Amino acid sequence: MSQFSGPSDLGDEERDALEALLFRMADDEYVAAERYIEWQIYAPTLESDLALANVAQDEYGHARLWYDLLQDLGYEEEELIWERPPEEWTHATLVELETESGDWADTMLRTYLYDTAEQLRMEAIVDSSYAPVCDRVGKVLAEESYHREHAQNWLDRLADEGDEESFARVQAALDRLFPHALTLFAPGPHEEDILEFGFRTETLSDLRTEWLEIVVPYLESLGLDVPEPDEVEPVRTTGRNGDHTDDWFDLYEDFTATYRQLDFDKPTTLRGEGA
Amino acid sequence: MSADEFEGSEFESEACAYTDYSSGEAHEQYPKTGESATGVERKVWDALYEVEDPEMPVSIVDLGLIYDVRVVDDVAHVEMTLTYTGCPARDMILNDVRCAALAAGVADAEVTLRYSPPWNVEMVTEDGKRDLREFGLSV
Repeated sequence: MSQFSGPSDLGDEERDALEALLFRMADDEYVAAERYIEWQIYAPTLESDLALANVAQDEYGHARLWYDLLQDLGYEEEELIWERPPEEWTHATLVELETESGDWADTMLRTYLYDTAEQLRMEAIVDSSYAPVCDRVGKVLAEESYHREHAQNWLDRLADEGDEESFARVQAALDRLFPHALTLFAPGPHEEDILEFGFRTETLSDLRTEWLEIVVPYLESLGLDVPEPDEVEPVRTTGRNGDHTDDWFDLYEDFTATYRQLDFDKPTTLRGEGA
Repeated sequence: MSADEFEGSEFESEACAYTDYSSGEAHEQYPKTGESATGVERKVWDALYEVEDPEMPVSIVDLGLIYDVRVVDDVAHVEMTLTYTGCPARDMILNDVRCAALAAGVADAEVTLRYSPPWNVEMVTEDGKRDLREFGLSV
């Protein structure tokens, strides 16, 4: 039985910590999906186009699961997405970086690094003290495994079985993305309270260690040179406190453009909804 | 839900192994069909039977999406799930369900989403499987 069955069981401090956790998870998924869908119509084959569209659809679905729980806490959709100032988003910089033009290796490596961390993070909330989180996490775990399978399948082809150029592209993507991937484990607001109240049951530092134990041997098995994690120069902005790269502010302008142009005062609703 | 969720049950190739939703675990308490419901709750279940999945001619009750129906103080509380989290028809289905419950004659209706236990094809009723087969899916 979870300690907190719903919003009414939360005091102010618990609520702030839970919100920080939910925003972090939702924003990661949402922004990752925004970058994936930029490949639509450009992916190298029809099948890979469909596969990536499908991965993006899942990530939007997962973002929605966590944004839903924020709505239960009183937020409206426009406050969560369309009108939230870009400097209040707390996703990792890994998911916001502009994809190098035409670089499929970048997206496949990014998916692999992100989804491996995602799996570990979901396992760390299976026993969350907040019941609505527990209710949802099983469904996410069930939908995530084939994302990694898809990315690894491509990385095997590009790096292990590919030619010099494809290998060099994966290596370049790894050098570029790895420091940003480490921001997946950078602390954000209320991190201590998130653990103290049991919303997540593992520390970020433990998650980082587990992640490195999975991704480093795998990438090395493909012949890649993995940067030494403790010697990587930390990126200036982690995303986790709302500080982001310029790429994010451009992306934000793009995906909120239609909302602003149409001058909605609320996201659209269905005919008869709320009747 | 989309038809390709059922691919795996027909094509057993390695490549599609992960879409084999037919291998999900059966769950003791599901599907829920409101079999023993009476009174207003019976009427709500009957109304929900009339709501079809937006992509396939099968009732959402037979599809196994409804997890609970309770009527308290003339307000219907419906708990349901979706086949997958990225379902683009979520708002449409929730709205259809709410309208159906209202049409059963309650003063108000609330629909809540739940994701435990996670839906799988074993939650489809025998009638639902028959409808899906008629539609051309192998379940």
